[in-house]
Amino acid sequence: MSTDDRFSRDAQRYLDGEPHGELPMGERAGADRLIEAVDAYGELVQPLDASLDDAVMAAVRGRSPARRRTGWRWLFEPRQVSLRPVWIPAMAAAALLVVWLGVQRPGAGEPASAAAAVADTVFVHFELAAPDAREVSVAGSFNGWRPDAVQLVRSEAGVWSTTLALPLGEHAYQFVVDGERWIPDPTAHAQVDDGFGGTNSLIVVGPRGVVRS
Amino acid sequence: MNAKRYLYLALLLALPCTAGAQEVGLRTQLEARGLPADLVTEVEAIAADATALGVPAGPLANKAIEGWAKRVPPPRIAAVVRQYAMHMVQAREAVMSGGVAQPSAHLITAATQAMASGIDGGQVEATVRAAPGPQAAGPGLNVATALHAQGMLAEQAVGVVVEAWRRGEPVSDILDMPSLARAMQAQGMSPAQVGQRMMQGMGGLQGGQHGRPAGVPPPEGHGRGQQGQKRP
Repeated sequence: MSTDDRFSRDAQRYLDGEPHGELPMGERAGADRLIEAVDAYGELVQPLDASLDDAVMAAVRGRSPARRRTGWRWLFEPRQVSLRPVWIPAMAAAALLVVWLGVQRPGAGEPASAAAAVADTVFVHFELAAPDAREVSVAGSFNGWRPDAVQLVRSEAGVWSTTLALPLGEHAYQFVVDGERWIPDPTAHAQVDDGFGGTNSLIVVGPRGVVRS
Repeated sequence: MNAKRYLYLALLLALPCTAGAQEVGLRTQLEARGLPADLVTEVEAIAADATALGVPAGPLANKAIEGWAKRVPPPRIAAVVRQYAMHMVQAREAVMSGGVAQPSAHLITAATQAMASGIDGGQVEATVRAAPGPQAAGPGLNVATALHAQGMLAEQAVGVVVEAWRRGEPVSDILDMPSLARAMQAQGMSPAQVGQRMMQGMGGLQGGQHGRPAGVPPPEGHGRGQQGQKRP
């Protein structure tokens, strides 16, 4: 049942606190009783703690799923975009840059399986007979030619050795004796000119290991 | 949403590609290894010229680092790096003639090494052209270089690799060839005989015990060296 069924428009204004003209006695008495009932009900209701609003809002802001949904809606909802024409060449250039860099990257378009195969490593043993040496290391393309990176261990017979895990493929290296003499490995697959007046040793590491002389 | 946001978004997408494509800063790399400032500047200039010709800077930096580690005087290092850059340009042209439009740094380096060891540009081109893909061409050139350095004629060394590809042998089997050739030589075969056996497919890893000729031991994953002299 609506309010219009009980009170006239003047009575509704009276209830809203805007007395307008005289109300019939019966209707005014009814309206006064209604006002008294509302006031009495208001006194029964306890006022809410002022901090409740803050707590509720903090909880709402902290709801990440809602934020995620908002993000998805942002992606898919149609929206009006205002774009200054001056930005169009810049955006086109940025897009071209992305495409060009993708094409220029070394190895782009090469099969992933081949790359994975090359990533395999094999344990390779290095030995050098140098009974008089105080220390021996091996430096090469696999360790950035750092003479102090891999030290060999001496046996009682004066043979220095170490085992390294090397990726499949070709590696150039030399032994470094006593930190100053760079000498090639005579058992390597190949000896090549290093361009500096010395000789680099080459080994090609296959998946089944390395055979040297 | 304004245009700036779209621009930032585009740049954000471009950033990882840019970072992935750029090599590690040459100067930073060289300075970290202790190269003197003058040499770093000179190598940078050489690398800039080479990069303009399509040659990657990384191998040039590695060559400079190798020289510095071997305590080579800086002027000599710069000269070697400059010469190496020229060789890389020639190697890149040979590789591109073989049908690889944008060769990787590894492929160019392998071709450079091959040409420095006596394999000519035409043979590099033939090897690259016969390779099943750009990724296989680099290892193939490495193997041809090693076989040639073991005493095989350049033409035969290249032929061994090309024939192996024609037979459909995978890259992993081709990488085993230098070890196999070394083992066959240890059994008394000459480099030419090894080459002939390999050309006939007997050096590959098809059939038998990986197709290994009778009497040839399997690779053991190690070798033995002796300072200053080659073992019998």
